[in-house]
Amino acid sequence: MNILVINAGSSSLKYQLYDMTDESVLAKGLVERIGMDSSILTHKPTGKQDVTEVSEILEHTTAIRKVLGMLTNEEHGVIDSIESIQAVGHRVVHGGESFKESALVDSDAKAEIRRLFDLAPLHNPASMMGIKAAETNMPGVPQVVVFDTAFHQTMPEKSYLYAIPRVLYNKYKVRRYGAHGTSHAYVSQAAAEFLNRPLEDLKIITCHIGNGASLTAVKGGESIDTSMGMTPLEGLMMGTRSGDLDPAIVPFVMNKEELTVNEVNSMLNKHSGLLAISGISSDMREITEGMEKGDPNSTLAFEMYEYRVRKYIGSYAAAMNGVDVIVFTAGVGENSIVLRQRVLEQLTYLGVELDEELNSIRSGEPRRISAANSKVEVLVIPTNEELVIARDTHRIVQASNR
Amino acid sequence: MYFKKIGVVGGGTMGQGIAEMLAAKGLDVLLVEKTPEKLDYSYRMIETSLDKQLEKWGITQAEKKLILNRIQKVTHFAELSTCDMVIETIIEDLDAKKEVFTQLDQVCPSHVILASNTSTLSLTELASSTKYPERVIGMHFIHPVSKVDLVEIIRGLKTSDHTFNETKRFVEEVSDKKGIMVYESPGFVTTRMITLMINEAMHLLQEGVASAEDIDDAMRIGYNFQHGPLEMADRFGLDSILAALERMFREYGELKYRPSIVLKKLVRAGQLGVKTGEGFFKYDKDGDRV
Repeated sequence: MNILVINAGSSSLKYQLYDMTDESVLAKGLVERIGMDSSILTHKPTGKQDVTEVSEILEHTTAIRKVLGMLTNEEHGVIDSIESIQAVGHRVVHGGESFKESALVDSDAKAEIRRLFDLAPLHNPASMMGIKAAETNMPGVPQVVVFDTAFHQTMPEKSYLYAIPRVLYNKYKVRRYGAHGTSHAYVSQAAAEFLNRPLEDLKIITCHIGNGASLTAVKGGESIDTSMGMTPLEGLMMGTRSGDLDPAIVPFVMNKEELTVNEVNSMLNKHSGLLAISGISSDMREITEGMEKGDPNSTLAFEMYEYRVRKYIGSYAAAMNGVDVIVFTAGVGENSIVLRQRVLEQLTYLGVELDEELNSIRSGEPRRISAANSKVEVLVIPTNEELVIARDTHRIVQASNR
Repeated sequence: MYFKKIGVVGGGTMGQGIAEMLAAKGLDVLLVEKTPEKLDYSYRMIETSLDKQLEKWGITQAEKKLILNRIQKVTHFAELSTCDMVIETIIEDLDAKKEVFTQLDQVCPSHVILASNTSTLSLTELASSTKYPERVIGMHFIHPVSKVDLVEIIRGLKTSDHTFNETKRFVEEVSDKKGIMVYESPGFVTTRMITLMINEAMHLLQEGVASAEDIDDAMRIGYNFQHGPLEMADRFGLDSILAALERMFREYGELKYRPSIVLKKLVRAGQLGVKTGEGFFKYDKDGDRV
């Protein structure tokens, strides 16, 4: 069975085509800068030359159409026709309390995902666009949704409830849901395998740091706390999201600037974070460059960002009364040598000892970056949400065929 | 019915607002004006409106570009033949509107809904200028369209159930607004009530009971209005208010609809409100009070 995995973000779309007979990747790729005139489609067919195409891609339907064109392209393609894709798996950020695991897409599932738009204003609509675009381009092909919140459904009440009137939870399910669950689940398991130790015995802090970023305290293989909240806005400072702030700022600013609810939501989700502080970019690579050139705003943005990651690691060590493993993953976590270094060199009180040489190695493989005598193992593990999504999709579609 | 491409005839205040709102919801919009100059002006006004939202962090640069890219400028009715729905929003003049509907009736396939954004005119009368009156309906948006989530859906005498149901679905599912059903009657619910209140505010001003500023503060602070009635009138356009009142005065024959002398004077002087920079209050080119 060939499965197309789609991970639709607000301005990007990642895809991987799996052959599930051996879980091999036939092709993968990424559409970046959706909504701009210089969108970049990078297509990587296995065993063939990579292709990069720059064109104007204004929304997700066009993005998926271009991807399907690439997959069936005579020169760069890996399949003869779209019909040989038997199922599509989608990453969806928010599954609320209704989705504790992955599910087949039907009208009920779509309605439920739409109901959850309020909770993930930046992401669920994008996932929905991905689902609709796949439906339009591949009518009749079964689709599965895999939720980023599902892994965190093991959190105890004391972590997921907010200290506000209970009626808000009862009426609107206002609570912490977390995100990046598929990634946190995958890298915590992969960490245990890498160390050859049982997951049940480990206290792991997983740092998924990409354009969106979250930390999770994984104790005995279960998420017991995570930094993203009811929406992906809470927790760490991110590319364009504010992360934690005093909630009283929201009504204060709304009143002063006469902002509507939509405007304040957009301000916190799309106009804050690294972008707001640096005034330059939401991209950690550009921030690091700016810092190296001595730009004070980029430096401040980096320092705030790093400081908040470190504070969260400390708080999760406290939450679990210790930490055995720290894992870095996702775009920034896997690639920013300087961020990892700055965070880790100030965690010596936990017994963390960084091996600077190991830390500066660039690789696509899981690897250790802590020194041999470090009390805490520090690993970099490239996340593989797509594989988890492909496996879930395969399992669910097969079960529904029976 | 699948709504993807919508025609908007008329690029005035309401036409701009409707086109911008639909494009922001992801629909393709064909915006029609009589001349390329008028079209360019409407397009620039939409851009200004988006810039204001950008300033308030409501949208991003990319979103602004996307929205503008979805709006296509059109000067010929013939190009509307591929639209899934057409919304007419030209001036409140029965003959001019009838002329538009006659033309739309010829270019649009008979299943395509033709909607009018009229606030006071008779839908039944507008529909009478077409061969397929069952597909003609009223869809009355309220200014500013992107912020007000209410649309009055008006049934003419011959409007079919299908047309009504599809229009309601369009309003509620596609444009994400609350649709209320009203029967044909000049001013419907919204225009009839708000213009009366605005007219009363002008009477108060004329009688010297309170200053314009204080009348507006009374309603704004006292009853939680976003803008007071006089500023509201400036924002709607004083000529539009006058036209609506005169229309209702004629139709109902009741004195309460008789437009205030203050209003007539300002319109005659060409002080139409925000769009001319001055009405009861003064405004800059971005439409902010000075």
